[in-house]
Amino acid sequence: MELLEVSNLTRSFGGNVAVDSVSFRMTSDALAIVGPNGAGKTTLLSTIAGVLHPDHGTVRFRGRDVTRFPPWRIARLGMVKTYQIVRPFRSLTVEENLKLFDKIRGRVDVDRILGVTGLSEVRGQVAGVLPFGLLKRLELAKGLAAKPEVLLLDEPISGLSRSEARDLLESLLELKRSGVRMVLVEHRLSEILPIVDRVVALDRGRTIFDGTRSEFFQDPAVRKAYLGSEDVGN
Amino acid sequence: MPTDTAPSSDLRRRPVGGGIAGALRRGARSFAGSARLNASRLTSPLYLGALGVIIVFAYLGSGNPTSFFALSLVLSSIYITLALAWDFSSGMTGYLNFGLPFFFGVGALVTGQLYATDSHLTPSSLAFFSFGVGLLGGFLFSLPTLRLRGPYFSLLSFLLPLIGADFILAFWTQLGLRTQGYYGLPFLGATYGDELVLLSAANVAILTAFFLLRESHFGLVLRGIRDDEDALGSQGIRTFPYKVVAFTLASGVVAFSGATYAMVYTFAGVDAFGFAFILFPILIVIVGGTGELFGSIFAGYVVILLYQYLFPTFSDLTLIIFASAAILLVLFIPHGLVRPLRAFIRFMRTGE
Repeated sequence: MELLEVSNLTRSFGGNVAVDSVSFRMTSDALAIVGPNGAGKTTLLSTIAGVLHPDHGTVRFRGRDVTRFPPWRIARLGMVKTYQIVRPFRSLTVEENLKLFDKIRGRVDVDRILGVTGLSEVRGQVAGVLPFGLLKRLELAKGLAAKPEVLLLDEPISGLSRSEARDLLESLLELKRSGVRMVLVEHRLSEILPIVDRVVALDRGRTIFDGTRSEFFQDPAVRKAYLGSEDVGN
Repeated sequence: MPTDTAPSSDLRRRPVGGGIAGALRRGARSFAGSARLNASRLTSPLYLGALGVIIVFAYLGSGNPTSFFALSLVLSSIYITLALAWDFSSGMTGYLNFGLPFFFGVGALVTGQLYATDSHLTPSSLAFFSFGVGLLGGFLFSLPTLRLRGPYFSLLSFLLPLIGADFILAFWTQLGLRTQGYYGLPFLGATYGDELVLLSAANVAILTAFFLLRESHFGLVLRGIRDDEDALGSQGIRTFPYKVVAFTLASGVVAFSGATYAMVYTFAGVDAFGFAFILFPILIVIVGGTGELFGSIFAGYVVILLYQYLFPTFSDLTLIIFASAAILLVLFIPHGLVRPLRAFIRFMRTGE
């Protein structure tokens, strides 16, 4: 039984098919969903997390069909989504942003999460006044506070400077080593590839690649989608 | 990125018991834990300040127990109760509920009917029975309506006092009850001064209960709903039960307030469904600060006393003056009076 299994998932908006019969299995600790702009990555992630409901297809988590479950129920089962556009609870302090999830699934180890995400020094600050880089970390911290088995990370490093992105990816790598599994949707391919084991590539809503990281750049369809030609080298 | 502690597999989810029994156990533990945790919050300067204001006005009013001033303070106390209930539910969650007058009217009419049925009932038992009816009514109202979001919920709640009052009165007629109103209800107290003391004590209890809940995990979730309800859902918090509990509690308190109002005037009728019983509480919350609770205490006395003393001179213009003042306040002090006060207290304590 796979931890996460997506079968023939389709989601359209009006006449525009954003995700078209996408299937994959999560057989590794970290999976990247990549693709050019408009490929359907965020729609796919939102559909897996229950934020959107698919037109067709199924999402199974630990063998259980969660396709029509509301987001809170999927999150309680252990699959938690973070947002590309950060969504902090602005009137609450950083610490309160995490304590919110206390008593939902047992006690949240606030100190540890603040430590892992490097937010200890701003724990008492109201989230609404934090700079963007810290809000990105807070988004990750909130995801961890929900005690996930699988973290669904929507473009965790978008909008961050190179050094900020490197810091956040280091945290993700540490989390992966500690046993947190993750699905990353990301634009900045070269930066996230070192921390993932498998890659699913989308183009115009369809799967064009599903394989290991090392196979990724050798695939002709990927080369065409990313580089415009199958002949261009790495 | 700097890390202060090593990560651990503890960050992953631990399995917990499911089912209704598990949810109830977790809920009970959550409330019990919150109450213990937050008892220390009762030393907060703003809370103590709010208590001081209530006590001072109760003392001043009871010193001249039959005066217009004492009556004005009684009315202030009733509107403060309403404002506290509105702020606890709508101010904290961001779900604007215009349906409070319905439960205020229900509280008054239930008091009237109960007393007509059994004239030996004491004012306190009448008020507490109305509180119970308000809880039940609020729960039934919340179940379908709180599935709606933002403006849809507000629109429906706006219609509730209008349609609900007609419905109740039609139902009242079917049952052969008095639609023309109930006269001769018992006085809440022997004088306005006595009534003021009772209502002030009730406000202390309500403020304390709401404040403890606000500072608990329950209150955190309510404030989280106001900030971003969908984000809460994506991370495992089902917001619906929290909203239902908040609005049910608020409805009970409002019905309690309706009962006390009926006993101050010794009359309960359809006027208790009037729009003033939502207008003034919202005005008080705007002046005091949304979601602040204490603001309702400080602003409640100011707004209602001003209205009471300006109305004989300015008559209907008084409301226009108040509305203009509210607009100016929203423009220049959008978060109300308490937030700057809170910032000042923090500055005095920490220098930041």
